[in-house]
Amino acid sequence: MRNLREMGPGLHSGAIHSPIRPATRAVFLALVCSAACAQDFTQRGYIETQLSAFPQTAPDDSSNFVGNAIFRWDLSYKLAPWLTFSGGIEAQTDTHLETERTFHLDWQDRGLLRPALDLRSFKTTIHKSHFTADLGKQFIRWGTADILNPTDVFAPRDYLTVVDNDFLGVLGARAVVEGGGYSVDMVVTRFTPSRMPLLNERWTVLPPDLTQPVENAATHYPGGAQYGARVKHVARAFEASASFFEGYNNVPLVGSPSPALPPGGSNGSLPSPVIYVERFYPKIRMYGADAAIPLQWFTLKMEAAYFQGRAMQDLAAPRSDDYLLYVTQLERQVGEWTFVGGYAGQAVAQSRGALDFDPQRGLTRAFLGRIGYNIDSRRSIAFEGAERQNGAGTWLRAEYSYLMGSHWRATAEAVVIAGDSTDFLGQYHRNSNFILKIRYSF
Amino acid sequence: MLRRRKHSLIDMKLAGTMIVLITSAAQAQTALEIAEKAQQRTRSQTEHYEGALQVIDSKKKVTEKRWTFDRIGSHGNSKTILRFTAPAEVKGVALLIVNHPDRASDQWMWTPALERDRRVALQDRSSRFFGTDFSFEDLEERDVSQYDYKLLGDDAAGGAACWKLESRPKQTKSSQYSSSQLWIRKDNYVVVRIDNARKDKLVRRIEYSNVENVQNIWTPEKLEVTDFARNSRTVLTIDGLRYNTPMKDSDFSVEALRRSP
Repeated sequence: MRNLREMGPGLHSGAIHSPIRPATRAVFLALVCSAACAQDFTQRGYIETQLSAFPQTAPDDSSNFVGNAIFRWDLSYKLAPWLTFSGGIEAQTDTHLETERTFHLDWQDRGLLRPALDLRSFKTTIHKSHFTADLGKQFIRWGTADILNPTDVFAPRDYLTVVDNDFLGVLGARAVVEGGGYSVDMVVTRFTPSRMPLLNERWTVLPPDLTQPVENAATHYPGGAQYGARVKHVARAFEASASFFEGYNNVPLVGSPSPALPPGGSNGSLPSPVIYVERFYPKIRMYGADAAIPLQWFTLKMEAAYFQGRAMQDLAAPRSDDYLLYVTQLERQVGEWTFVGGYAGQAVAQSRGALDFDPQRGLTRAFLGRIGYNIDSRRSIAFEGAERQNGAGTWLRAEYSYLMGSHWRATAEAVVIAGDSTDFLGQYHRNSNFILKIRYSF
Repeated sequence: MLRRRKHSLIDMKLAGTMIVLITSAAQAQTALEIAEKAQQRTRSQTEHYEGALQVIDSKKKVTEKRWTFDRIGSHGNSKTILRFTAPAEVKGVALLIVNHPDRASDQWMWTPALERDRRVALQDRSSRFFGTDFSFEDLEERDVSQYDYKLLGDDAAGGAACWKLESRPKQTKSSQYSSSQLWIRKDNYVVVRIDNARKDKLVRRIEYSNVENVQNIWTPEKLEVTDFARNSRTVLTIDGLRYNTPMKDSDFSVEALRRSP
């Protein structure tokens, strides 16, 4: 069984562990009331169960099977032509203790584990003529490429399963003004971190010569707001945008200022046999651009972002590298076939040597692609893959999906990961797996 | 006498040739006029309906979908948003079509699960639209001026006397179809059938029926699209059709796709 050292005191999870809280009941009441009295009420959601089978065990994870179940419900109520309320909740559980076992309503998404009950989004949308404002917890997606999005800085993810991640909402305000083929998108948000793989399970690969156990120590969440703007132009022959972001990387740098000592100092006591890991979310500035150009045979998409590591107020905090991420992608849809493929690259302008966990950077210097085929209106197959340019890491995924009736869908997946332990992808070579999903949509 | 007769023969031949030329010119003009009149009679400022779709595949398996359709503007200068309301797993998927008078439309598709819009490139328009037998191009609304027309004669279709026209896109690269044959009813100028061909091979047929007079516009409330390559067909039944209800131009934009429920 897994060692659940991580589930000790949740230092910064923001969770108040209690049974169903009054806030939860109030939200449910509001949702039910909305559903009952709605004229412009829409809702959609699904219930999904998933079973993953891992043929190989990992050093810190002896499980071969992981099961989880998720319920997701998104609602929207248009109170007036200019005013819409929308939100979404998610309830989930699993067999692998990646989900909290306390049933409180989480709206911050700052816990190390997935919340059992999560307010995924709640926002008010105000729309007048060419102006739209979204206030509240929401999903903000930037960028145009599909294989990797360097400019998608307001979209933290749940990386508990690194290669099968999902987006997390961010709390903030967004204003969009559009007209004449241009749109200006201005965003201010509170920082929301990506959820990192748990230290003691298979998606965290520790150095093989490490004999001491590793535990989470402090997580340093930045306090200030982060902001950004994106200008997009849609022309007849192309779409292009430029973006700017000042804030914090949603994936951390990892530090261990006193590796043999517990946080807070030792007072002369013996060194602890535990390595504590601190997470720092580095201050960054991003300059980005993306473009989509339909050509005769393919659509060419390009996206690039230059990240500048900024000094933190806490001078002891590690500072991020300065680096450029870029993507060039071709896509085409022919009949029932869909092709997307391209290259993701990285150029480091200044390396500061900080230890990081950044799947975006980890997937660069690689060729990535996807081929999909609709067999008929109910069945589809898809193949995805990533191959590092030096051959050190490979990720392949095959999927077969079958729609039963109007609501049920069964999906079978096979994921193969191979490569060297020193490579971002290759380090997960023990995590090849098979997945079976059953989803009921409503 | 002989000479005079020869002249007469030449005159008669010349006259005959001239009659053929004049008739051809008159027919070509008539074909365009018919197409223009058919278009003119469906002109409205806005349109809204709820569509129920049945997709019947080659094995006779039926899949049902529903969408809402909103259009502002008319014929080559219009904007349309199609939004799926069923089945559950595609609920919220939307397509924005911006039609232009002189060229193919611009199209964007919104997928709520990804929170992303994607521009549908011109070369991708021959693909089927979300499992229906409509291609993305079939959902466009082009102005008649983008085609050359030829009157092929009279024919019967949908139980009514029709003109049979052939149309060819002037900008050949802008369409997946090299030519189309149209059947237009003589009594009310409603298009009742379109046979779309690629390199003179019939690939897709659209049949229009259940013609009703809605707010003085004769409108087919049932469409059946047959994809001959896949041997499948889609039946679209129109409910709650309303013309000229107030709509705002700002609700037909890429940002509006994201804003929509």
